Amino acid sequence: MTLASSTDPRQLSLPTPSGGAGGPAVPDRASSWPRLVRRVVRRLAGAAVVLWGAATVAFLAQVALPGDRATVIFNIRAGQPIERTPEELAAINAQYGLADPVVVQYWRYLTGLLRGDLGSSYQQFRPVTDVIGEQVGSTLTLTLAAIALAWVIMVAWVTLTAGRGPRVSALGAAVDTTVAGLPHYWLGIVLLLVFALRLGLVPVISGTSPLGLLLPALTLAIPLAGFMGQATRTEFETALQQPFVVTARLRGQSDLGVRLRHVLRHSALPAVTLSGWALGATISGAVVVESVFSRAGIGRVLVTAVNSQDLPIVTGVVVLIAALYVVANLVVDAVHVILDPRATTS
Amino acid sequence: MTTRHPRVTALAAAALVAAAGLAGCSGGAGGTGAGTGIGARQADAPGPDARPVDGGTIVYAHQQEPACVFGGWIEQAYLSTQVLDNLVSLDDDGTVVPWLAQSWSASDDGLTWTFDLRPGVEFTDGTPVDAEAVAFNVGYWLDGGNSTAQVWLAGYVESAEAVDDTTVSVHLSRPYPRFAETVAQGYFGIQSQHALETRTPQENCEAPIGSGAFVVGRWDRGESIHLTRNDDYASPAANDPNQGPAHVDAVDWRFVSDPTTRVDSLRAGEVDAVYDVPAVEWADLGAEGYDEQLYVTPGRPQQLAFNTAQGPFADERVRKAFAYAVDREPLVETIGQGVIPYEGNGGVSRATPGYSEEAAATYTHDLPRAERLLDEAGWSTVDDDGYRTKDGERLSVVLPYNSGTIVTADGASILQGIQQQVKAAGFELDLVPVPPSGFFGGAYSQPEERDIAAGYWTSVTAGILYVNWRVGTDDDPNFNNSAFWDDPELQSIIEQANSTADVAAQDALYEQAQVYIADHALSIGLYDRISTLAVSPRLVGVRQERSQGGPVFHDARFVD
Amino acid sequence: MSPTVPAPATSAAAGRAAASSPDTSGPEIAGPDTAAGRSVAPSTVLDREAGENSGGTVAGGPGTPSPGGPRRRFLSPRTTPPAGRRRPTRWGVVAASAAALFFAVALVWPAALSPRDPLALDLTAALQAPGLAHWFGTDEAGRDLFARVVWGTRDSLAIGFGATLVSMTTALVLGSLAALAPRWLAAAVDRLIEVLLAFPTLLLALLLVAVIGPSAVSSMIAVGIGTAPGYARMIRGQVLSVRRSGYVEAAVALGHPRRSVLARHVVPNAVRPLVAVVALSIGQSIVWASSLSFLGLGVAPPSSEWGALLEAGRTYVTHGWWLTVIPGLVIAALALTTTTLGKALQDSLERGER
Repeated sequence: MTLASSTDPRQLSLPTPSGGAGGPAVPDRASSWPRLVRRVVRRLAGAAVVLWGAATVAFLAQVALPGDRATVIFNIRAGQPIERTPEELAAINAQYGLADPVVVQYWRYLTGLLRGDLGSSYQQFRPVTDVIGEQVGSTLTLTLAAIALAWVIMVAWVTLTAGRGPRVSALGAAVDTTVAGLPHYWLGIVLLLVFALRLGLVPVISGTSPLGLLLPALTLAIPLAGFMGQATRTEFETALQQPFVVTARLRGQSDLGVRLRHVLRHSALPAVTLSGWALGATISGAVVVESVFSRAGIGRVLVTAVNSQDLPIVTGVVVLIAALYVVANLVVDAVHVILDPRATTS
Repeated sequence: MTTRHPRVTALAAAALVAAAGLAGCSGGAGGTGAGTGIGARQADAPGPDARPVDGGTIVYAHQQEPACVFGGWIEQAYLSTQVLDNLVSLDDDGTVVPWLAQSWSASDDGLTWTFDLRPGVEFTDGTPVDAEAVAFNVGYWLDGGNSTAQVWLAGYVESAEAVDDTTVSVHLSRPYPRFAETVAQGYFGIQSQHALETRTPQENCEAPIGSGAFVVGRWDRGESIHLTRNDDYASPAANDPNQGPAHVDAVDWRFVSDPTTRVDSLRAGEVDAVYDVPAVEWADLGAEGYDEQLYVTPGRPQQLAFNTAQGPFADERVRKAFAYAVDREPLVETIGQGVIPYEGNGGVSRATPGYSEEAAATYTHDLPRAERLLDEAGWSTVDDDGYRTKDGERLSVVLPYNSGTIVTADGASILQGIQQQVKAAGFELDLVPVPPSGFFGGAYSQPEERDIAAGYWTSVTAGILYVNWRVGTDDDPNFNNSAFWDDPELQSIIEQANSTADVAAQDALYEQAQVYIADHALSIGLYDRISTLAVSPRLVGVRQERSQGGPVFHDARFVD
Repeated sequence: MSPTVPAPATSAAAGRAAASSPDTSGPEIAGPDTAAGRSVAPSTVLDREAGENSGGTVAGGPGTPSPGGPRRRFLSPRTTPPAGRRRPTRWGVVAASAAALFFAVALVWPAALSPRDPLALDLTAALQAPGLAHWFGTDEAGRDLFARVVWGTRDSLAIGFGATLVSMTTALVLGSLAALAPRWLAAAVDRLIEVLLAFPTLLLALLLVAVIGPSAVSSMIAVGIGTAPGYARMIRGQVLSVRRSGYVEAAVALGHPRRSVLARHVVPNAVRPLVAVVALSIGQSIVWASSLSFLGLGVAPPSSEWGALLEAGRTYVTHGWWLTVIPGLVIAALALTTTTLGKALQDSLERGER
């Protein structure tokens, strides 16, 4: 892939603005405000389009369910997997409007979404929003705790092992890579086995106590820390070479102080960026972790729903998380702009 | 870079740490629980001066959460029985004892049953438990208010009416002497008529209003359902040691689907009782001091029913060959850790009245005989992979099973063992685990789609045979006839038995039906479904209900 | 989550938002530790393309590559790989190759490694800990775990390859369309990619499984489609950059027919960097697929597929910890192997091109 771009003058310019919402990567402070507004609007519009697309994909998934949906619903509720007579199915068809043409159903679905109505669960006699709403808090708690823990671990690890000579930093990097690749279920089971069952240090069923949150959050945090660590480490080591570091040390600041106070700030940006992505990925990982630790949350709801082909719940969760993801990335972008003023408009 | 192989080192280190942490304590060298598993420790037993006290909340871990409390699924029966009373209950030896009905009798021709209700009982919404309410419930069941209740009543019960305030009359189209036993099941809980008439189906399903010892409180979906004591409870069954309201304040009925987590939370003291203990933990828990209750449920055992309508199993010889090819008993004993009882009878389980030992013993492992039968049936050539063929077609059979709910993990292992065993005779058995949705969507319900069906069905009497073997007609199909068997002879034996009043004669007829099933190899048994409960020594008085298993907390008390 | 792959190489360059979707093997061809230090064409090309052409992308979405290039060059011009770059060490590659050999033999000739029938019952030897007779121990029916792991390699790798195939094919189609098709179509496909990127991989896979129902094939498809959007974004960037590169312009100017230019220049150049990514993707796909199996939504027992082994072993975790820990280790080892080899391959390809 050797192309001419390496000598492209644009590549030597200052970093491009966040999100790359079109336009060349050239900062232009003079006429920034209208451009900023335009960018924001464009970004929001883009986000809205993505959300609409996500909702459509979800709807298509519901329609694509093989077999007769009314039979599925009836049987799930009755607990018996047998054929049903048309009379029995008529009530279900009426309730869910399954007999209407697809376009009508789609319209109803979209307008419902705008109202905040995610449809009605096939299995439970209740709206999806209720089902998800009860569980989302627990999962969000877990996710946020995991991200916070990941930061702590990552900062500690990188600060201690970066740029300290080839062996240590290579080991640090190796640990980052290995740990980033550990499957959640495996890590979770091992932690559960060792700390909860064998040593009895933490409760087995995590419940709502903070201590019970520790293992599931750790399971999610460790690979995430490894991942963020990879990105941060490089920046960290580069920053360690910078002149200001030498200056600070000459002024008598301790090594640790320098690392924490100056270098970290410069190298944390990639991790901040990653945190936006991390929200989506961690919620996704929470599905598995909640299963391992028998913890209530969206994960369990989702797995049960997938198992019982309760599509409104599955699509509801998926759309919700996609929305969260979009919002999180928007927020991260904003944070980016704030943190790094060089990343102005385009 | 002067380091050697950091990445590999890191992974190896991780592996070593994990292994060291675990290996040091890996017990369970044998399978029968002689060693202890990880996390085993003695239960917190109460001190010698401890007395039973009132109050407190029982934390109970159940394995499966139903969609709502009242319905046709056994998981719903377990819950609804906490909040609803039945007309009658069952004693430990299966005798019918009074509950809401003080007495009952059948007319001479067996077509009219009269129930005398105990007076003065009220539903928790204040309306009286009177004959009219009971009659309404019967009509509700007949109309499909509870799909399993409906299936039991269909073809026998026509209507019910209130003769006076406390007398209900139920009209049958044919005699059914075991009617009283049948309505002891959780599906026949009596709900408030007012509630059924004025509330939505959803409300009634989620929090049915009854006259039971507990009332449905808060339900945190995915987590637990809170049952609070009915302080005005005045209608316990006659065999209930506690003749007043429950001793405890509430029951926190939790849903923990992973069996290992359930058991470990019991060990950790986080819950007081758990259901469905995995076989591998049974011995350990007993040794640690927990109170274990094992109840073999009567009714249809976990069995394999062959598709007799089409496919290779339409030929009786092939069915018999399969039955001789499997070596079920050691398989069940090993995987079931000696806890799950082997069952040879494909009709009913050993806990059912009228159980036929002869039917159970019909097929033992006899590989040469299986091979001979297959040769006779024309499956005499063997292909390169070791499977039998006939006219170029391989002896390939499909067994879809409802994984997770109807067939547990232990059951799935047993089925895998079967798969291996029949391979020796030349069967290619294709196991297809189907998630509940697939099953509920009607997947594999047609004769073209499967060759063997697995499943169990709890029932108090052998009357379940009628439900499972009635021949379906166009007007009245029987989707529960999983072998698609359409010979009316079996049905007539069962119908005769159903209507025979004399117990001995009835049992003899039911046994005849089971022998028929065995002789024609329509279905072979695997193991009896067991209902297992493990209770912390801090809690006494928990027992299992006798029509389907499942916990009863009415008499339970903490010991302090 | 398992983002073993190409990491967020330094999005330090402020500007760019989200890092390369670690979720899928991101658009960065660079390996996880390659920070932008790579300063080789790929990342810079991607940056430029992403900047110019993503117009309106969602907050730099999960697929946006990070622009390590410019910043690095600005601050510390180098021609040799900077200290931050982690090339796989020689010993690492050796170890990974040995592991790969083991897996390859297990794939092609399992009997050589374990002559036992993986499904053979031995009811007298149930639940035995790892030891001399059974290297990895046995399960509740006496089946030897080592045999199951070895014979299960075929199933697992098949799913890995299959998912990668689905993923790459989808990504190629989508990415090329988004780069080469007429404007309206390209824009539409680009939006589609963004929409798909808004779903985390596992969720997208679960959605597909909910519709199709769990099985080996549905695992393959679900994981394949779940990981495709990130690759599609990357391929789009690649194709775009190649299309606009100097020599392609020259070829067009010289009058070569469009189609042949596409076939002889654009496609091969766009695709070549993907070779390394394919290796990474295989390992990742296996981890995703085994996650699905772990949740009970993947391959059915008694398959010896590693994820299925994990699921089967869960019930016995207190009396047979080896049933879950060992297959998990094997999966992680495979992922690590493919990552290492993939990076080494990438490395040698680039060194060859310089």
